[in-house]
Amino acid sequence: MNPRLPRAIDQGLASCHVCGKVTPVVAHRCPRCGSALHLRKPASLKRTVALLLAALALYAPANMLPVMTISEIGNVMASTILQGMVEFWRREAYPIAIVIFVASIMIPIVKIVALVWLCAAASGKVHPSPRILGRIYWFTELLGRWSMVDIFVVSILVALVQFGAYMNVTPGPGALAFAGVVVLTMFAAMSFDPRLLWDRLEILNAAKTPQPPPDRE
Amino acid sequence: MVWVVPILAVLIGGWLIYQNLASRGPVAQVTFDTAEGIAAGKTEVRCRSVRVGMVKDLELSGDLKSVLITIQMDRHAAALLCEDTRFWVVKPRVSATDISGLGTLLTGAYIEVEPGRGPQGPTSFRGLEEPPPTNRDVPGRRLVLTADEAGSLAVGSPIFYMGVEVGRIEKRELAPDGRQVRYHAFIRQEFSTLVRENTRFWNTSGVDISASATGIKVRTPSFQAMLAGGASFGIPDGLEAGEAAPDDMNFKLYEDEDVAQTSLFNPTLKVLLLFEQSVRGLTKGSSVEFRGIPIGRVANISFDYLPSGVDSRVPVLVEIDPALLRRSMPGHVAGPNGVFLKQAVAEGLRAALNTESYITGTLYVDFAYYPAAAPAQLTQVGEYPVVPTLSSGLVQLEMKVTAILNKIQALPLDEVMGSINKAAEESATTIAAARTTLDEINTTAAAARKMLDDPQFRALPADLRTTLTDLQKTISSIGPDGSMQGDLLRTLDELRASLRSIKSLSTTIDDKPNSLLFGKDSSGNPIPRAPRVKH
Repeated sequence: MNPRLPRAIDQGLASCHVCGKVTPVVAHRCPRCGSALHLRKPASLKRTVALLLAALALYAPANMLPVMTISEIGNVMASTILQGMVEFWRREAYPIAIVIFVASIMIPIVKIVALVWLCAAASGKVHPSPRILGRIYWFTELLGRWSMVDIFVVSILVALVQFGAYMNVTPGPGALAFAGVVVLTMFAAMSFDPRLLWDRLEILNAAKTPQPPPDRE
Repeated sequence: MVWVVPILAVLIGGWLIYQNLASRGPVAQVTFDTAEGIAAGKTEVRCRSVRVGMVKDLELSGDLKSVLITIQMDRHAAALLCEDTRFWVVKPRVSATDISGLGTLLTGAYIEVEPGRGPQGPTSFRGLEEPPPTNRDVPGRRLVLTADEAGSLAVGSPIFYMGVEVGRIEKRELAPDGRQVRYHAFIRQEFSTLVRENTRFWNTSGVDISASATGIKVRTPSFQAMLAGGASFGIPDGLEAGEAAPDDMNFKLYEDEDVAQTSLFNPTLKVLLLFEQSVRGLTKGSSVEFRGIPIGRVANISFDYLPSGVDSRVPVLVEIDPALLRRSMPGHVAGPNGVFLKQAVAEGLRAALNTESYITGTLYVDFAYYPAAAPAQLTQVGEYPVVPTLSSGLVQLEMKVTAILNKIQALPLDEVMGSINKAAEESATTIAAARTTLDEINTTAAAARKMLDDPQFRALPADLRTTLTDLQKTISSIGPDGSMQGDLLRTLDELRASLRSIKSLSTTIDDKPNSLLFGKDSSGNPIPRAPRVKH
């Protein structure tokens, strides 16, 4: 580890969440834009965990209920995400099946697991190496924007395929739950303050070399 | 505060799942011979074309002989699963009588379910391979028709009443004894009252060509019935409609309309007739009539009924309706048929062969009372009573001639002759009187002739002619060239001249009224007046 540099938190300096100006936190308000100042995102872990739990709660209906109902001339087919994937796999459209699996099933769950793990690390329950933590955090940020693929596909199909009695696509209740999962995980990722991870590292290091623990908001 | 979010999410998610699970009804398993056109997750289950479920799974049964179809019923359709609920696959079907399920050409097959009435609960059913022709919920009359042979009547064949399709054959099966065919027929509600207890059903399949006394008859049913067979029913002519038939009543299906129409009787009495004459033209099924009313038919003609070598007469076994024969007898006779027959024979009941048609030479058995016939007894051969017969032709003719002669003999001929004599005498006097009258007429005629011969009478025409010439002359003097005409013309001219002068006088008076006093102006020229001066 590099020679220790002074940290903003130790100086009581906070970066404005809105404009980024570094100001002593005692001011409470950013002198430039007037928004509230915090050393760390307030109740970050609690919020993240709550949003993750909400996402998990919706994950079950998202996968159990049909996301899309296709009706072709008297033939009504309602399919869940998993059924759709299996259907593509059976028709030997493996790439599409894999894309669906990765984007719709794997990414949300991976994201949720990763965030839970990060929260655990930030609260000191697990002690991974900072390198891995960095990778995982980067990964969750990266994945976030791709998990909406399914919802996009459904909404585009619903908008395009409306041929009256011949063919119709209507969204199912699963789509709502799935959109909820995606939005909630995105909010969870947003509300997570990665600096808490590094704070925890500091505490761990301080435990090795005795130092007064930093107080944190 | 932030924990509201997961709580809300749990509530929403739970509600979504509950909604989905709650909309599912029970699962039913239906066995079919084949799953043609059925696909898991695609084939719908419908009741009266309303979706009530979806095929969830398809698999072969354990013995590989049928297909097990698992159906996820909708929640509201749970009540459909009763003990006698029926399932069948609706797919395009084209037959001679019917084209159905064309809609499924595009949409794919679906499973139709017909709710049962039994207790709810079972989840395992046996599917029907063919759609049942008539829904059991449809009100109507369900009857059983029994026929000696299946003919061309099949499931789905129409049933006609006076050419109007009123029902269908729903099911065909062999009777338990295997000797007859049973049809389950359905008559639609609006026509169900047409079926009476004495209604006859007959097969109208195919083309019916028959030769009878009235010539050759060709009868064809509707095209549909010709292709797929059909049955008709009606009440035989001359019979009053009976009570309305109840459900599941059994009827005999006759092979054609003629048989049905003549089946007025319920032949339960078998009687043996021994004929001395030839029975050529008489066949099994020939009619047995009582004074023209059919009361039975010939059951068989065979020498087997008589002990061999005893009799050379031809035994004819006939079946007759004793009720009809009883009604024909003067006075009502109670008691068993044997007693009745005995008395009837004593009263002169005899059977005879008559010719039904001189063209085809067919015969029929005629029962009638011949009080004058030679007395005979009711006898018994084997198990059958034997009614004495009369030979047709000579024997009957002889009897009739005898009857006529008897009547002639009974006439009061002497008396008649006496009165004829009296009448002749009276006419003789009348003739004499007539002769004197004629003489008088003769004298009158002679006097007339004398008068005609008179010369004065003869000159009469010449006088008449001279008178006519005079008349002609007179008329010609009046004519256009006559002197009278000239005088008349002149008179008319003078009259015209005087009229003219009167006219000029009247104009003068019109112009100058005082000319009557002062005379006319001498000059015709007008004298202009001096203008008047106003003072």
